[in-house]
Amino acid sequence: MSSTESARGESPAIDISGVTKNYGKVTALDGLDLEVARGEVHGFLGPNGAGKSTTMRILLGILRHDAGTVRMLGGDPWRDAVALHRRLAYVPGDVELWPNLTGGEAMDLFARLRGGVDAAKRDELVERFDLDPRKKGRTYSKGNRQKVALISALASDVDLLLLDEPTAGLDPLMEVVFQECVREAKDAGVTVLLSSHILAQVEILADRISIIRKGTVVESGTLQDLRHLSRTTVTVSTDKPLTELARRQGVHDLHAEGRQMRFEVDAEHLPAIMRDLASHDVQALTATPPTLEQLLLRHYGDELGSAGSNGNHDDGSGTNGSGKRRAGKLRAGRNEVAS
Amino acid sequence: MTTTTERPGGAAPQETTSRQRGALTGTGTLLRFMVRRDRVRLPAWVLGLTVLWAYFANAIGAVMDAESLAGMATMAANPVMALIGGPGYGFDDITVARLVAGFYALYLMLGAAFMSITTLSRHTRVEEQTGRAELVRANVLGRHAQLTAALILATVMNLLVAGLTGLVTLGSTIEPPPDAGPSLLMGAGIGAAGLAFAGVAAITTQLSAFSRAGSGIAGAVLGAAFVVRGIGDMSTTQDGGLGWLSWLSPLGWSQQTAPFTLDRWWPLLLSVAVACAGAAVGYALQTRRDLAAGVLPDRRGSARAAAWLRSTLALAYRLQRPSLIGWSVAMVLAGVTFGAFAQPMQEGAADMPEDIVAIMGGAEGLLEGYLGFMGIYFALIVAVYVVLSVQSLRGEEQGVRAEPVLATAVSRTSWLGSWTAVTAVGALWLLLLAGLGQGFGAALGTGDWELFGPVALGNAVHVAAAWLLLGLAVALYGLAPRLLGLVWIVFVYGTVLSLFGEMLEFDQAVLDTSPFQHVGQHPAEEISWGAVGILTAVGALLVGAGAAAFRRRDLVTA
Repeated sequence: MSSTESARGESPAIDISGVTKNYGKVTALDGLDLEVARGEVHGFLGPNGAGKSTTMRILLGILRHDAGTVRMLGGDPWRDAVALHRRLAYVPGDVELWPNLTGGEAMDLFARLRGGVDAAKRDELVERFDLDPRKKGRTYSKGNRQKVALISALASDVDLLLLDEPTAGLDPLMEVVFQECVREAKDAGVTVLLSSHILAQVEILADRISIIRKGTVVESGTLQDLRHLSRTTVTVSTDKPLTELARRQGVHDLHAEGRQMRFEVDAEHLPAIMRDLASHDVQALTATPPTLEQLLLRHYGDELGSAGSNGNHDDGSGTNGSGKRRAGKLRAGRNEVAS
Repeated sequence: MTTTTERPGGAAPQETTSRQRGALTGTGTLLRFMVRRDRVRLPAWVLGLTVLWAYFANAIGAVMDAESLAGMATMAANPVMALIGGPGYGFDDITVARLVAGFYALYLMLGAAFMSITTLSRHTRVEEQTGRAELVRANVLGRHAQLTAALILATVMNLLVAGLTGLVTLGSTIEPPPDAGPSLLMGAGIGAAGLAFAGVAAITTQLSAFSRAGSGIAGAVLGAAFVVRGIGDMSTTQDGGLGWLSWLSPLGWSQQTAPFTLDRWWPLLLSVAVACAGAAVGYALQTRRDLAAGVLPDRRGSARAAAWLRSTLALAYRLQRPSLIGWSVAMVLAGVTFGAFAQPMQEGAADMPEDIVAIMGGAEGLLEGYLGFMGIYFALIVAVYVVLSVQSLRGEEQGVRAEPVLATAVSRTSWLGSWTAVTAVGALWLLLLAGLGQGFGAALGTGDWELFGPVALGNAVHVAAAWLLLGLAVALYGLAPRLLGLVWIVFVYGTVLSLFGEMLEFDQAVLDTSPFQHVGQHPAEEISWGAVGILTAVGALLVGAGAAAFRRRDLVTA
């Protein structure tokens, strides 16, 4: 405990490097690196089966990793599990409760086992999340079981929140309450690791984001950083059609509708293209930054391209952009089911 | 699954199907699916009951000679024997077949009833509770298809049990060789009791939204059916006026067929009628309720945890409490019943089969011998409790309820240790209750209140053997939870040796390999405190090994 105390504030809250985890022949984590700084809200994005929950459970000392190093709050999650758990709270994506304990009993129990419950905070959260704590565990819907775990976690005085797709099953109204609560926790200095595939949620809350795919973190950085990796969508209206644009390097998915054109530009080529446009009579121009969804799709799109019919790779120059994207979505969906 | 693809034609809405046929659409497919799911469970139940019956039918004849049969007949007239046996048809001119049918068949009926209740629950309410029924029902499937298929499955299982037990009776070594008619009637009586409780379960599974509560209500009905006919039979053997009570129970109807004596089939019509009525009420209730909802409202509980619920030990106690309460009631009742049996046992000693008297420690001190022997019997029952408890612990892990607890500041050792401690203390408590009940029952019958203390102690010390099994179960759970079932092999081994080993004339060296053999059958024998200490120590070591292994392995995750 003393060693973890002394390290407080210096080391990152979570420092995972080169972690591997196998289940028999199946590789769940394949050299995963993840660093979460103290006090930040870190979004952990990836489809089902990518290894998010396995990572969380390694951090909880519930699973043991096969190779690599893991440090959390300055301690070893496997060896120092009990001491570390006093300082963190965990919300799984699929909360199971005891059938004959009420929600209220369960949330009190969790908080007490963690080291104490702030009764006032608890009652306030019960109110905000609109939960009936007197119902037996077996009678709760999935969303309400999530609320029980969320309230118990948020009402505890901890340094770190491990939230594994915590809002699965919550309605949009409760989603907003959840976002408020996470912001309050962040303001209070709590580090949050938030895994999700609800992209909007992560976009709103996260300071930094790591994208995991097949057991490896493929991108990590602020949303700003990641946007550099992607394409900006540009819509421009000019007097004369800019037919030569389609041949420019870094331009993709060009569509022309009369004098209006829409295309995507790789971030690195954007300045050159904009300079080019300036020499024409631009009447209207919008440039939209990529959404997180596009970022994600690009990662899974890579794989789709190589597996798909037209064999496109990374910056594939396909012209049927939207069609490809829709296909990509479907494929991504199927991948999730399969994994 | 296959339900959608295999029945496109059956439910075409434009067809002029009656409303009822629509409600049953898909029953056949579902039935095949249930049989597929039960490909192990179904034969296990049916063959298990058949083998048990084969044992009764052949073993009783082997240990009974004419004299001891007469002794049994005298004893059966005792009210306590009537309560746990039956009305004793034809016992005034007793044969082995009449004894087997009139006394032991009751336990097969109980078995068949449990088989039906669990089958109905498993294929209807459990499916709804887990949400799987919703997926299935979303396909082309009638409202009543699931209940109907489950009822057909239970009916088939009971028919199999009826036929097989009948054939086993016919082919048994019973002298004189039994006739076909009565043999099959006896089997039919067993199956009919099972069928009647399939009807009961068809109703009770509708009542609560939770399978446990539904099965619990059905079990309570079964218990009541047992007691009601027991009181009726007691009254009959004493020429009292309450004999009609036996006619209020499905178990009673099967017994009233009196195989090998009166050989009447018509009481079984009552069982079939109950099964049909149960199914009808079940359908009616199902029509009125929503999927996954119960007819009975669910009670609400406390918004806050009790102040004491703040440790893993408290949680383990809180989770095991309902089962402990149930077991406590059962142990007291069983203890008092078996204790009350001591007095008629002593009186009938002269007429009892020698082999059985020998097991109880000879004609001298038969009372103590019997009570001491029952200590082993209760130790075996408590061993079942212990193993089931460790299986529940595994259920906590598999049900992903262990994970959020272990994500708090709780060590794995304390999580596992707390559960084990509560179970260990629970085992001691249950054996103490059984002993106190037995002492009470025995003292009540014999008027010898000095038995009370020694009998209670004699039962309680057997906990050491149960603890050994607890240790073994925890060790297996810690090392490889999948292998937990292996502990049942040790249990069955110990049971066979301790209950039947002497009868089967095994060597002492073989008998000594049973963990239940060493503590000593107090008050007939001295308690071997050394054995108690060794069994306890080995149990504790095994728990320690299990805890150490559990700390090293991955948790089972969803």
